[in-house]
Amino acid sequence: MGTAEIASRSLSMTMHKSPSGHWDESAFRALFLQHYARIVGVLVRVLGDRTQAEEVANSAFWRLYRQPDLQTDSNIGGWLYRTATNLGIDALRASGRRRQYEDAAARDMNEGAAEVTVAQGPLDHVLREEQAERVREILALIKPAQAQLLVLRASGLSYKELAEALEVKMSGIGTMLNRAEQEFRTRYLALHPNEENL
Amino acid sequence: MNCPDDGILRAHLDGELEGTELTEARQHLATCGDCDARIKKLTAEKAGAGDLLASLAPDRAQTAVQPAVAYAQFKNQFVTTSEPQPSWIARWFAPRLRPAWGLATAALLVAAALGVSPVRTWAQHVLALLRVQKIAVVTIDPSTLMNGGDSDARPYKLINQFIADNVVVVKEPGKSEVAGSMAQAAQMAGYPVRTIGSLGTPQTIEVSGDTRFHMTLNRSRIETLLEEVGRSDIRVPKSADGALIDVQIPKIVIATYGDCPARPSASHSESHAEAMAHRKMERMAVVKGNDCTYLIQAVSPTVSVPPNLNMSQIAEAALELAGMNSTDARVLCQTVDWSSTLVVPIPRDAGTSQTVTVDGVPGTLITETLTQGNRYSLLWIKGGVIHSLSGRGDASDALKLAASLE
Repeated sequence: MGTAEIASRSLSMTMHKSPSGHWDESAFRALFLQHYARIVGVLVRVLGDRTQAEEVANSAFWRLYRQPDLQTDSNIGGWLYRTATNLGIDALRASGRRRQYEDAAARDMNEGAAEVTVAQGPLDHVLREEQAERVREILALIKPAQAQLLVLRASGLSYKELAEALEVKMSGIGTMLNRAEQEFRTRYLALHPNEENL
Repeated sequence: MNCPDDGILRAHLDGELEGTELTEARQHLATCGDCDARIKKLTAEKAGAGDLLASLAPDRAQTAVQPAVAYAQFKNQFVTTSEPQPSWIARWFAPRLRPAWGLATAALLVAAALGVSPVRTWAQHVLALLRVQKIAVVTIDPSTLMNGGDSDARPYKLINQFIADNVVVVKEPGKSEVAGSMAQAAQMAGYPVRTIGSLGTPQTIEVSGDTRFHMTLNRSRIETLLEEVGRSDIRVPKSADGALIDVQIPKIVIATYGDCPARPSASHSESHAEAMAHRKMERMAVVKGNDCTYLIQAVSPTVSVPPNLNMSQIAEAALELAGMNSTDARVLCQTVDWSSTLVVPIPRDAGTSQTVTVDGVPGTLITETLTQGNRYSLLWIKGGVIHSLSGRGDASDALKLAASLE
């Protein structure tokens, strides 16, 4: 555990003085059981790896556990999605995908070659996973808040759930989605000009 | 009515408009050709990005997430190990800890923490390590961690806490019993015991109850502990994780001779405060130059470990923690047979050791030089019984006494 982590934990402990001081164990368990699978689902989308997704999900729940005052919060679900995707996108950005991508892009430019989709096997899922990795590279490049919105929407959250998770007005979601997708498309096309369906 | 903005059109596309917003949008769109074109554009863009983002969805072949299992793991990983522990003191006094205080601290690193003083406590602690057939002495530098072996020191507390949390006592030793004579003690203990003829009748003879406990190693917890004591450089072998270590300690016969500090008979149910007081008294006795001699006898404890547990690596980590440099620890660990050797760590500059002949077998004589006078501790194994003779004086005193064993 890093110093920053300790500092942020102790900070949150002092900032949020809770009436009881600790979680009601059964209440926490119920929240965990209610949200865990979906949180992991979102994080697998972000990270592409189940084990890593579970680690990040645990980390989010651990933060929740350290803030017992949240048990009176009516928007714990939103808090969890926000925290988990923040952690997930941080991990994605830290994973070196950006650099790999930027290197690849530079190489493509030097060779004057367009991105070539190599069919490495007959299996759909191989292609699909390659596609997913390209998407993650873009998600690591764009603004984290936009990446967060796109991933949560792709995970099936409604506008209401998105508004709760991102702490924004529901009426603004449509515009935010348009802008985030626009940004995503622009970045994607810049790096994969041969994609036809955008 | 003005045309709705792209945000509202988008919400409409996503089926997220409700009530009057939805009604108004429908009415407007029915007649607005511009909006129709905008909707078509938005639909195409949404589909393009949506298809790409949909590729992120997990493979259906992946096993389903099981929240209940995940919760159990979560609790195990975080809640039980990292929770703030306000009950620190309460746990210290917990009944299940008391035998551990007396016996489980036999773990090598704690033996090191105790250093060579007081000798008796130390001997009692180191006895419970392995099925002991041989004794080896290693030199450590206690200043690296266990400064002075003060049981109030934080590392020491952490280790005790660790033991308290992980040790499950299967059989309580109960109170030590006082024996009227060595013959009676032998009968109570179930193995032959010796006495020192030249010292006459022992002042006290006690037989401690046999005990059994086990301990499940948790690698991440150990690593946390190492981190807390500032030794995150020490590596814990993977094989240690989840290993169940079972320790059976047979009855121990403790005879004292001469001017010994009074000692509560229920040695293993001492509270921390009592134990502290007791240790202080023993130190005082040394300072005052009391001429107290201890003869401790015990058959080897049995330590069962999983076959895949790499004892050599565990011992290497423990020795490093105790203050041995990693090269020495590695060399030693590759040459010692951990299944049969009791390793006694002695602090550098505090003691020396030599091999002597005692009772017709090889023994290990450790001498300490203290400002109040020298102390010795003589360890040997004969007939399956481990003997520890300790007291004030030097090597010749020890051997003289040993020569009068009956």
